[in-house]
Amino acid sequence: MRKVKEEKVDFDLSNLELRELIQVYENISEFLNFLDENKIEIEEKEKEDE
Amino acid sequence: MNNFLDFITRDIASKKTMITSMPSKTKTNKKKINTTIEEIEEKYKVYKDNVKNYLIVKSHSFEIKEDNKEYEKVKKEVISLEQLRFLLNPSNTYIEKLGFDELLYQINNFSKFNFHSLNDIINAFLDKFEIIGLNLKSEDFRITSYVNEYMSAFLDVRYKIDKKYDKVSEIFERIYWLNPDLINHLALNFKILIRKNAKLFDDNILKLQKKTMKEYNIKDYEECLEKLKNKYSELEKLEEETIGKIISLALEGSLDINHYFEDNKVRINAFSSIIPDDIDTEDEKEMDKIRDVLAKLKYNVEEYQNYIKFIPLFTLFKNDYKNLINDKNTKSKDMLNEIVKKEKELDKCNKVIFHESSKLFDTLFKNKVEKTKILANHYVNELMELYNKYDDEVNKDRIRKMVSVDTTVEDVLHLYYSFDYLKKSDIQKSYETNDYDEIIDISNDFDLYSMNPNNLIVKGIKIFDDYNLSSIIANKYKLNNLKIEESDISEENIISLYNKIKLILRAGIIDKSSSSVEKIWFMVQTKKILDSEQVENADTEEE
Repeated sequence: MRKVKEEKVDFDLSNLELRELIQVYENISEFLNFLDENKIEIEEKEKEDE
Repeated sequence: MNNFLDFITRDIASKKTMITSMPSKTKTNKKKINTTIEEIEEKYKVYKDNVKNYLIVKSHSFEIKEDNKEYEKVKKEVISLEQLRFLLNPSNTYIEKLGFDELLYQINNFSKFNFHSLNDIINAFLDKFEIIGLNLKSEDFRITSYVNEYMSAFLDVRYKIDKKYDKVSEIFERIYWLNPDLINHLALNFKILIRKNAKLFDDNILKLQKKTMKEYNIKDYEECLEKLKNKYSELEKLEEETIGKIISLALEGSLDINHYFEDNKVRINAFSSIIPDDIDTEDEKEMDKIRDVLAKLKYNVEEYQNYIKFIPLFTLFKNDYKNLINDKNTKSKDMLNEIVKKEKELDKCNKVIFHESSKLFDTLFKNKVEKTKILANHYVNELMELYNKYDDEVNKDRIRKMVSVDTTVEDVLHLYYSFDYLKKSDIQKSYETNDYDEIIDISNDFDLYSMNPNNLIVKGIKIFDDYNLSSIIANKYKLNNLKIEESDISEENIISLYNKIKLILRAGIIDKSSSSVEKIWFMVQTKKILDSEQVENADTEEE
C-alpha cells in the first residue's frame, strides 16, 4: 500500500504576519459555520438504508 | 514547510470538497456525514481557541500605557484658577459672583422651560442668603399675602429633618388659581431681598476674595490671568494627541485605522490636497516642519469653528447694541430711585395688611385691609415693570461701559462670560429657542470658548467690522506654502479640512512611535473578533 506523504505543518503562529493571523481566524470561523450548516437532521421515523 | 495559514487554507478546501461530495441519501449516509463533521468540528474548535488566545496575547503586547497623572493635575489647577478668576472678575458684581443671576434666569423663565422642581430653585436662593448668615424668615416674604402664605409653608418644611414638600405643593396649587403671577411675584421678592442686602453680600465677597488670593498666593486679577494663561498652555500641550490616545480612538471606533495605510485613498488625498507637491513626504525633517505648521493651522481651525458656532450671538450683539456706542445716557439711577420709592409705598401697605391686631374683627379695619391689598397688588405689578426696565437698563449700562467702534470679539466674549443672565437671554433671542437644555448647552460651550485666554483670532477682530476670516486664515498658511484655499475654510468644508489635518498629524505620531498602522489595525480587528464573540455567546445564552 502506498504510504501517503505526511504534510509537514508549522503550527507556530509567530511565523505569521499580522494580516495572516487575522485571516487564519476568519477562515476557521467561516469553516465552522460551513460545518454547522452542513449537518443533516435525521428524523427518528426514517427507515434504515432504503 | 507550510505555515499554518497555508495548511488551513488547503485543509479547509479539501474537507469542504469531501463533505459536499459524500453521499447523503440514506440514513446511514447522513449519520456518516454528521459524524465526520463532528470530528472535524472538534479539531477546528481547538484551532479556533488557540488562534484566538494568540491574537489576544499579541494584541496586548501592542498596548501602550500612558500616564494621565500630569494632565489631571494641571486640569485641577486650571479649574481652581478659573474659580479664582470668576471671583476676582472686576466687570461683574456679587449678583454674578454668587450665582444669583443664574437662579434669577431660571425662576424668571420657569413657565417657558417647564422645570420639574421650583423647590430646588427656591432652596438654592435661600442657601445663598444663609452663606452670609441671613436665615430668611416668613416676614421677609411679604410682597403679597400669597407669596407670604406660600413661603411660610415652604420655610416651615425646609428646616424640618424630613422634608415633605407635598403640603407646600398643595398650597401652591390653590394659590396659583387665585394668583397666577405667584412665581413672578416670588422672583420679585427675591430680587428685592438681593438688592436690599447688597452691602452684606459685597462685604462677603471682599472677604472671600482676600482669603482666596492669600490661599493661592496671587496678588490681583491680572496676576491670576497671567497664571491662567500659562496653565492653559500647559494643558493644551498635555491634550495633544499621543500614540496611546490614537490607539484608544481606533479601538473605540472614533477613527478608521484603515485610512492610515500608505496606499489608502483617504490618506493619499489628505496628504496631496494640503502638502505642497515639492515636499518629499519621506523626508522627516521637511515633514516635521510641515507638521509644526499644520499644528498651528489645526489650532486656528478649532478656534474658527468655535467662532462660527456663535455667529448668531455676535450678530445679535452687532445689531442690537451698536446704537449704544453713541448713547451714553443712562436712566438706571433714576429708575432705581423710583423703585426704592415704590418699595417704600409697598412696605407701608404691608404694615397694614400683615398687621396683627385686635382690630381684625372691626369691619372698617377689614375693609381698609382689603382696599390696601388692592393697592399693594397695583404697586407689585408696577414694581415688576420697573425692575424689568431697570434690569434692561443695567444691561445696557454694562454694554455702554465696554462698547466702542474698536470693541473686539474678545471683549464681547468677556462681557457674556461675566453676565450669565444677559448671555442666556441673548442666546434665547439669537438662536430663537425656548428649549432650556439647548440654551444651557450653548451657554456652557460658549463659556468654554470664552474662557480660553489663548484664543488668537478673536483678539484682532472688531465686532462691528466685517472680515473674511476664511480668507485671512487661508492667506496666512499660503505663506507657509500649504495648499489651502479660502473655500477649504468655509463653513461647508472646514470639517473636511480639519479631518485631513488630524489624519496627517496622527500619521506622523504613529510613524514616530513604537507602534505602527498595522499593529493598531491588528488590535482593532482582534477587538472586533472578541466583541462579536461576546454578542454570539449572549445570543446563544438567550436561546
